Amino acid sequence: MNEKITRSDSTHAEDDFFRLRLFVAGDEPNSLKARATLFRLCDQYLRDRYDITIVDVLEDYQAALRHQVTVVPTLMVDAPPPERVIVGSLSDEDEVLAALGFTREGGRP
Amino acid sequence: MRDQKKDISNKVISGVPSLEKASTHIEGLDEILGGGLPRGRTTVVGGSPGSGKTLLGLEFLYRGALAGEPGIFVGFEEPLDHLRQNAATLGWDLAALEQDRRIGLVDGRIRPDTLISGDFSLKGLLAGVSGMSREMGAKRVVIDALEVVLRLYETPRQVRNELHLLNDWLLSEGLTAIMTIRPPVSGSVPSFEDFFDSMGDCVLRLDARVENQLSKRRLRVVKYRGSGFGSNEYPYVITGGGLHIAPISTVGLRHKALGEKMPTGLDRLDDILDGGCRRASCNLFAGLPGTGKTMLASTLTNSACSRGEKVLYLSYEESEAAVIGNMLGAGLFLDPHVESGHLMFMAVMPEAMGPEEHLIRVMTRIDAFGPQHVVVDAISACERMGGKQAAFDFLVRLINHCKEQGITTLLVNQISGATSHMEISGADISSIIDTVIFLSYVEGAGETNRVIQALKSRGSAHSNQKQEFVITDTGIRILEPYVGEGKVLTGAARRLQEARDAAEAERLAVEVKAKEVELEGLKIIQRQTANRRRFQAEMRGANPESSPATPGTEVPGEPENGTRGKGS
Repeated sequence: MNEKITRSDSTHAEDDFFRLRLFVAGDEPNSLKARATLFRLCDQYLRDRYDITIVDVLEDYQAALRHQVTVVPTLMVDAPPPERVIVGSLSDEDEVLAALGFTREGGRP
Repeated sequence: MRDQKKDISNKVISGVPSLEKASTHIEGLDEILGGGLPRGRTTVVGGSPGSGKTLLGLEFLYRGALAGEPGIFVGFEEPLDHLRQNAATLGWDLAALEQDRRIGLVDGRIRPDTLISGDFSLKGLLAGVSGMSREMGAKRVVIDALEVVLRLYETPRQVRNELHLLNDWLLSEGLTAIMTIRPPVSGSVPSFEDFFDSMGDCVLRLDARVENQLSKRRLRVVKYRGSGFGSNEYPYVITGGGLHIAPISTVGLRHKALGEKMPTGLDRLDDILDGGCRRASCNLFAGLPGTGKTMLASTLTNSACSRGEKVLYLSYEESEAAVIGNMLGAGLFLDPHVESGHLMFMAVMPEAMGPEEHLIRVMTRIDAFGPQHVVVDAISACERMGGKQAAFDFLVRLINHCKEQGITTLLVNQISGATSHMEISGADISSIIDTVIFLSYVEGAGETNRVIQALKSRGSAHSNQKQEFVITDTGIRILEPYVGEGKVLTGAARRLQEARDAAEAERLAVEVKAKEVELEGLKIIQRQTANRRRFQAEMRGANPESSPATPGTEVPGEPENGTRGKGS
């Protein structure tokens, strides 16, 4: 029931691969916004080294409880370490990129 | 009076049947709320940190779960393990109830290192709780410390939106809900307190404050849509078993009528009170230090226990051993009553805790022990619970509780120096006192003596006369009142007067005897005179009627003959 999108050319080292999870609540506006922004940023900056699992809490409430998702949207960066949590519609893209370890200029630190 | 209480819980608002209520099963709270919280609705509980909001919520769930209504706790502040541990200290095994799916705990905390970017809502949590609720068949939910998560929002508009979302969710779920909230520090966050209050069909406020170095806790029902409620501030404490609320005079006085007379153990005092103290009455023994107040209370205690009744003795000045020991010299043996389970002491320092805790401990003990009588020794010491007001709060509520249960209260009050009658009751509780026995000293003839006097005895004839009493090795002994020239005589003056009177009586008796002898002598002379005259008349052979002397002798002679006739 969860949606999983993988873009991988399998040439990247494990510690350079992004495993992301986005918790949304159906088609409510913030969730749609976060989803669109996340896909765009990943395509732009991560190319073929990420997978995103979209979890709809309206369908999988167990996951929401298990992962202690209080608010939606919630983006969890499971890999590479450290684990990070970003909540909100991801409207501040600079903040999201910084959290993922990027700058807008494209370089990884 | 009982009916009044019933009225509140079954209150009908303009033809609409009363809303259904969910019992909290929390001691005292249901009574204040006229049965419980509004079922299927939200109750907002506000209060400062440490006032016990979380505990109230948790107890509501715990007791509800035990009574067959599963519930979910959503916490935004504490780790769930802390919650379980805190509950365990109160003897509540949450883990076991979680296992049975009767209680569900949801951790709503947001990691402190969480980044925020853009708008978000609580839908994640609500989806989780909805799912869990369906699974468990939950009936209750507690949302604890919501203000913590609301702090994440930047604008009042967002906060309002979230509260609307939550409100709609609660209404659609049909759960009986408690939402706890700490009032925001002014200025730090947009004020959403008013909105909170409007969300709740029932709004409770818990207040924990410190006065005179003692903590006081108060609960107040701010509003309750469609229901009556007790509108006072009610003291409550957190004890080893959870929350205890003292719902004193919640819906009016429900005192039992004063009962029949019971002997005090002192015949003379029974005479003064026209048969003794009445059951379910409040009796005050006031007096100067050393006048024998405690002994009088102990005498009544001893008498009640000997009849097989139970007495709870609250000692705020001396230990149990000291009270018992002090009475031995006066021939009062309280120990056997303790052993037989008729007498129970609660000896505690007044300053050990605030009046609420004192009160609730005593009330819990009363309910468990079931005494017919409660002794408070001394109400003057109760001020040390935190001042005059504290003593008043404690005593009024205690006496009310006793009167509602038909328990006789015996209050000991120590007063100092020359005191007007107004001050004797102390703590301004005179209106609820039925009988006042005043013990004092009377000085005279170089010595000081004890006197006892009934100043008031409601619904009963009684003597206001002062009577001397002495403390002997067999207890208190009240002497016959001795009134000479309108003044009570005591001690040596009394004995002197008694001796004088005895001498006078003896003198009079002798005098009477002398008069009697004299009278007897006169009678003999009279008889002889009469005989002589009769004899002289016979000798003359004349008709006795013609003798002028006859009427004169006949008159004194007749009563004399009558007396003699009766005597023989």
